[in-house]
Amino acid sequence: MTDDLLARAAAELFARHAAPAAVRAIQEGGPADALWAAVEEAGFADALVPEAAGGAGLALSEALPVLLAAGRAAAPLPLGETMLARAALAGAGLEVPPGPIALAEALPGEVPRGRIAAAGPAAWVLLPRPEGGAWLLPADGATREDSSSYGAVLRWASAGNARALPQADWLAAGAFATLAGMAGALERMLEETVRYAGERRQFGRPIAAFQAVQQQISLMTEDVFAARIAAQLAALPGGSGVAGLDTARVAAAKARIGEAASRAAGIAHAVHGAMGITAEVDLHLWTGLLHRGRLRFGAEGHWNAWLGAEFLRGADAESLAFVRARLAPPPLEETTP
Amino acid sequence: MLAALPLSAIPAEDEALRPAIRAFLAEHVPQIPPERRARSWMGFDAGFSRALGGQGWLGLTFPEEYGGAGRGPFARYVLVEELLAAGAPVSAHWIADRQSGPLILRFGTEAQRRFHLPRICRGESFFCIGMSEPDTGSDLASVSTRAVREAGGWRLNGAKIWTTNAHHSHYMIALVRSSGTAQDRHKGLSQFIIDLSLPGVRISPIRDLAGDAHFSEVVFEDVLLPEDALVGEEGAGWAQVNAELAFERSGPERVLSSAVLLDEWIGWLRAGAADAASTALLGRLLGHLAVLRAMSVAVTDRLVRGESPVVEAALVKDLGTEFEQAVPALLEDRLGADPAREPPAALLRALAYTSAMAPSYSLRGGTREILRGMIARGMGLR
Ligand SMILES: Cc1cc2nc3c(=O)[nH]c(=O)nc-3n(C[C@H](O)[C@H](O)[C@H](O)COP(=O)(O)OP(=O)(O)OC[C@H]3O[C@@H](n4cnc5c(N)ncnc54)[C@H](O)[C@@H]3O)c2cc1C
Repeated sequence: MTDDLLARAAAELFARHAAPAAVRAIQEGGPADALWAAVEEAGFADALVPEAAGGAGLALSEALPVLLAAGRAAAPLPLGETMLARAALAGAGLEVPPGPIALAEALPGEVPRGRIAAAGPAAWVLLPRPEGGAWLLPADGATREDSSSYGAVLRWASAGNARALPQADWLAAGAFATLAGMAGALERMLEETVRYAGERRQFGRPIAAFQAVQQQISLMTEDVFAARIAAQLAALPGGSGVAGLDTARVAAAKARIGEAASRAAGIAHAVHGAMGITAEVDLHLWTGLLHRGRLRFGAEGHWNAWLGAEFLRGADAESLAFVRARLAPPPLEETTP
Repeated sequence: MLAALPLSAIPAEDEALRPAIRAFLAEHVPQIPPERRARSWMGFDAGFSRALGGQGWLGLTFPEEYGGAGRGPFARYVLVEELLAAGAPVSAHWIADRQSGPLILRFGTEAQRRFHLPRICRGESFFCIGMSEPDTGSDLASVSTRAVREAGGWRLNGAKIWTTNAHHSHYMIALVRSSGTAQDRHKGLSQFIIDLSLPGVRISPIRDLAGDAHFSEVVFEDVLLPEDALVGEEGAGWAQVNAELAFERSGPERVLSSAVLLDEWIGWLRAGAADAASTALLGRLLGHLAVLRAMSVAVTDRLVRGESPVVEAALVKDLGTEFEQAVPALLEDRLGADPAREPPAALLRALAYTSAMAPSYSLRGGTREILRGMIARGMGLR
């Protein structure tokens, strides 16, 4: 399937199964079975699993449109997380269990502890281990600790005989799954904001006619375009991480998208006025996803520090040389038409 | 609504130019002190420009029959990136190479091409842009400098201002009114190639806040222009100028104006000044730079395909200049974060220059507010 076809298929699926009412119901703790079944049926969760192992064998960059579409719908699903976890399991020659897999941010403790998304389905939790590698733990064996909308903190009495995955940068994997959804949510939020600005009238004109409003939405547009290209950079294959992720590109993208999210969500709310503060209007589906996403799997502070340290570990004298070598697509070789 | 930019890469054959350019620059540029290199594309050195011409690196995109190299926009992209990253003094040839040459190639007569382009490629002929006037800034269609038709040519009267390098240039390409009145707005404007050595041209350099005299006021008093000074079609000046502006808004120069300062600071960090806050700031700036460069390359790819991504270019310029301005603003805080630490004086001089000039980044080439208006139009808001 080409990018466009895949994007269209994903958009249709989420429009049907993850309309705002369905998203709200799942966020409030309702079942996500129908939505997840549709995602499985479409093969999205196996997108990165090699064809030989029964998946679609797509590269990250090819699967990105699906994650953007999920973010546009604010679908409360660990879809990117499951894609990456299944790719790693298949890559390690391990059996891929049925059901959604949530990636956890590992937390300190005597027993296995971690934080996963607060809402959405999870049959399994992939929990990175302090000594490297990760466990695949059953979600229903966990105790839920004091939590917030930024994530549910889960604890297991022990890892038991959980499947063990080899060493990988799971924080970067989680950051990628998160940032891809954020980039999609940003695009949808921009479209909704432009639409609202054209409909809402004050002083006898649509508010879109006011230069101050136009300039704010232009700023938001810049951030949304930057976020989209950042997500595309992060999805470039060729890295040594899970499914070919590269931690430096993920670092730059997660931090840039986090910044964009904060500024763009503020503008979207300003344009929506009091109406945007209501539960009824969908705006908070996207702003909520953006706020949660900013914090999960490392916010700007974490990834900026990581990237700065990575630069200083190397020998580049120039910022541009580092950007070209580490944060750009490789030069395009002549292709025969 | 605008479509997202697809990620693009620079073709390998253009990337292949980079090592030779870097080697040339390593030989010619490091002797220049950082505060001079911080002038970026405002640093003037006619000899350096001629040396680049000697390498065949001026007019890279012009056809070979006019002295160029017949390369695509990405070859020039690579060259410009390296020049700006090094802080090479490129301003002498900058406007001719980026703007005036391509304009003459596109709209000029065969005779104009044969006359001007080879001279530009050799670094012998420098150009400036005459758009702004004392009473015409953002509202460019309000220009009042006027060319009146006469037997054998045109009589020019009026004044241009803020003309970068006018006092060092051989020619100006000016937007002037050739018919009608100011009320006609976009109609009746034309572009002329003005030989600045003609009688009646008076050029007065204006000192800028950094102490340089890089721009000038240019007054025209009954200047007699020959018939062939007109470039392109009479009355089509507005459309021609806009085609010209789209090409100048999305290049590396909208991302790298503060690159010399950034790299000087990096040098100090490497010499032992890196603390946690500086390291995080460095990471943040690198991330922004990477994303901007990807956007700039993506817009260039659209230009290569013959599209005219005017709104996308405005987007890159506004975001790019914001980044360029953030670098000195953030570094003033960083370099003063610990009063007991002493940053190198050369670094502080580069910072002082960049901080002082940074406001110009979002004025030249269309102000921030004007660009955001273009983006709003692209988004269907106006
Ligand atoms: C370093 C430098 C080099 C330059 N070199 C050249 C050159 O070589 N050739 C040349 O022709 N010009 C040159 N310029 C001039 C440049 O093109 C102008 O500065 C620019 O077009 C803005 O015009 P202005 O400075 O008169 O500002 P104004 O147009 O007077 O604007 C002042 C402020 O008002 C705002 N404003 C104006 N109109 C609107 C509007 N409709 N809506 C909202 N806000 C508005 C502007 O955004 C700005 O913030 C140069 C400028 C600089 C700083």
